[in-house]
Amino acid sequence: MSEWAIKLKDVRKTYRTGPIEVPALRGVSLRIGPGEFAATAGPSGSGKTTLLNIIGGLDRADTGEIWVAGQNLQVLSAGELAHLRLQRIGFVFQTYNLLPVLTALENAEFTLLLQGMPARKRREKVEKLFSEIGLAGLEDRRPAELSGGQQQRVAVARAMVTEPALILADEPTANLDSASAIALLDVMEQLNRSTGTTFLFSTHDPQVMERAHRLIRLRDGQITGDETRPSQEAPIARLAG
Amino acid sequence: MTSLFLLVKISWRNLWRNPRGTLLTALALGLGLALLLISLGLLDGGHEQTIADGVRFGPGHVVVQAKGYQDSGSDELLLPAQVVSNIEGFLQKATIKHFVRGVSPRLLATGLLSSSASSAGVRIVGVIPEEERQVSLIPQRMVQGTYLTSDNKIAGVVVGDELARKLELKIGSKAVLMTQALRQPATANGTGDADEMQSTLLRVSGIFRTGLQAIDANMIYVPMSAAQALLGVTGDQVTQVTLLLVREGDSPMVARRLRTQLAKDPVEVLTWRESLPMLAHILGLDHAFNYIMNGVILSMVGLGILNTILMRVLERRYEFGVTKALGLRPRQLAVMVVGESLALTAISLALGLVLGLSVQHYFATAGLDLRWVFKAGLPPALVFDPILYSRLSMDRIVWSVSIVFAMATIISFYPALKAARTDLPDALKVL
Repeated sequence: MSEWAIKLKDVRKTYRTGPIEVPALRGVSLRIGPGEFAATAGPSGSGKTTLLNIIGGLDRADTGEIWVAGQNLQVLSAGELAHLRLQRIGFVFQTYNLLPVLTALENAEFTLLLQGMPARKRREKVEKLFSEIGLAGLEDRRPAELSGGQQQRVAVARAMVTEPALILADEPTANLDSASAIALLDVMEQLNRSTGTTFLFSTHDPQVMERAHRLIRLRDGQITGDETRPSQEAPIARLAG
Repeated sequence: MTSLFLLVKISWRNLWRNPRGTLLTALALGLGLALLLISLGLLDGGHEQTIADGVRFGPGHVVVQAKGYQDSGSDELLLPAQVVSNIEGFLQKATIKHFVRGVSPRLLATGLLSSSASSAGVRIVGVIPEEERQVSLIPQRMVQGTYLTSDNKIAGVVVGDELARKLELKIGSKAVLMTQALRQPATANGTGDADEMQSTLLRVSGIFRTGLQAIDANMIYVPMSAAQALLGVTGDQVTQVTLLLVREGDSPMVARRLRTQLAKDPVEVLTWRESLPMLAHILGLDHAFNYIMNGVILSMVGLGILNTILMRVLERRYEFGVTKALGLRPRQLAVMVVGESLALTAISLALGLVLGLSVQHYFATAGLDLRWVFKAGLPPALVFDPILYSRLSMDRIVWSVSIVFAMATIISFYPALKAARTDLPDALKVL
């Protein structure tokens, strides 16, 4: 087991569309420890999305080393990456992306079902998590019957319920009003503190930047800043790469 | 197993995200199945009627005749009397008796029938009236007078309505039948009767109408004894023995057993497919044409289904990307799409069966009246009742459902493959 939740070394990625080459990441090195509550920030095109894609095993880097939860992603097959995502990584998407045909509870237990967990245990876990994050009583509602904030909390529950080592959240507050955004950040921070799960956001939202314990700034595919908030130390000490 | 249950649940619920679209697609596929069932029912019903009528106006399901008669058509080729009694004896056996509805010996010849008004060439059929009633449809198609009976066997004749009109014959009219005495190999040993013209006076006892010009204008039926006397045939020889079976499908088996029984005799045993090759050919062509038409209909429906499922898959590319990102494997995604397609197919099959079998039931009881199509008369080669009654066997239903199910399943593979190959970075552009 690596001492790092995420370790990147000189990661490079260039997108090619015909003769046009667009460098997205230009030698990113980064280490994030277990239990950190970190955010990447930067303007559009800075490489935030590509970075999260590569860390989540959704895309592959051209060169460099990517270690997540102790595994070298560059040598894993597509099936092994799918297994890693299912067992070790949780995702929270900007547009919630709940399955519209499933209820809130069914959405939250989706990944547990894929893991093959028995029904009673699944239900117990989801209901406990729902009561912790203020979703009790909404189990049987379909996504269309929930507010944006509630949907995003269901998405967080879906990501958290498998107790992953890492949660990647892409602009999770982008579609929420301020009150809902604050409530969501409260939930995630509380989960981070209580479970020690590592959180990595990408964001434009000043509220998220303020609440992050560590802020990594990106520009033109390179890290231009990496600061830890003195007043909000992560549960586990961080070492810069 | 639990994840399979989840996939099936998602598939089923996905279907009802757009109920109208789902029902329209199901209706399209269901209509394809219904059309298949209706057309097969009418085809099989039509063929069954055509065969039933064809064999009962003609040589029966199975016919035994002298070797070479089918090819030469020579009236001089007769079945010896002991062969006829051998056949009749064999058909009385318990092992074969229950397959046979009726047996009728016939003596066939060509002659000239003259009335006071005119003359016409005719095909003479000498029959034993009681036995012919069990085999032929002619006794049921009398429009005037009565069919032959043993009482009027000396002078009775039954003619078709077209011939009666041409010769201006009415019930009780007298007509002279002239023919050439047959050259019989068994008796042509100096009796001097062969090749001589013979004639006899007949009285019209009945007029029939089949709707088939070839029969109504040419065929006349006379008692066997009168025909034998006219043709100079002795010793109960006949041209053929016709068999009407309980089930048409038994024809090959009965023919095979008769061939075995008569292996030493100079005879040929033919099923209706061999004795009426043109009818068999027409029905075969009709079958082939129908299969092609059904293939075209199903292909068009299939393309519609493919388009619909593909559109559903493409619309949900982002959703598939999300589920894949959450850890759903490509194979599971494919199962989900195939499951959705199969659920859609199940609804379609239910709709198609209800619709198809309802219409089929109507045509099976009320019939499809095609008389308006054949106002000008039926084609001469076709023995055809213009009111079609649908007949659909369980085998046909199972076959049709299987074909549509297999088609829908195969069609779903491409969209399923497309879903399974959802490219994650592209599908999840937001992340």
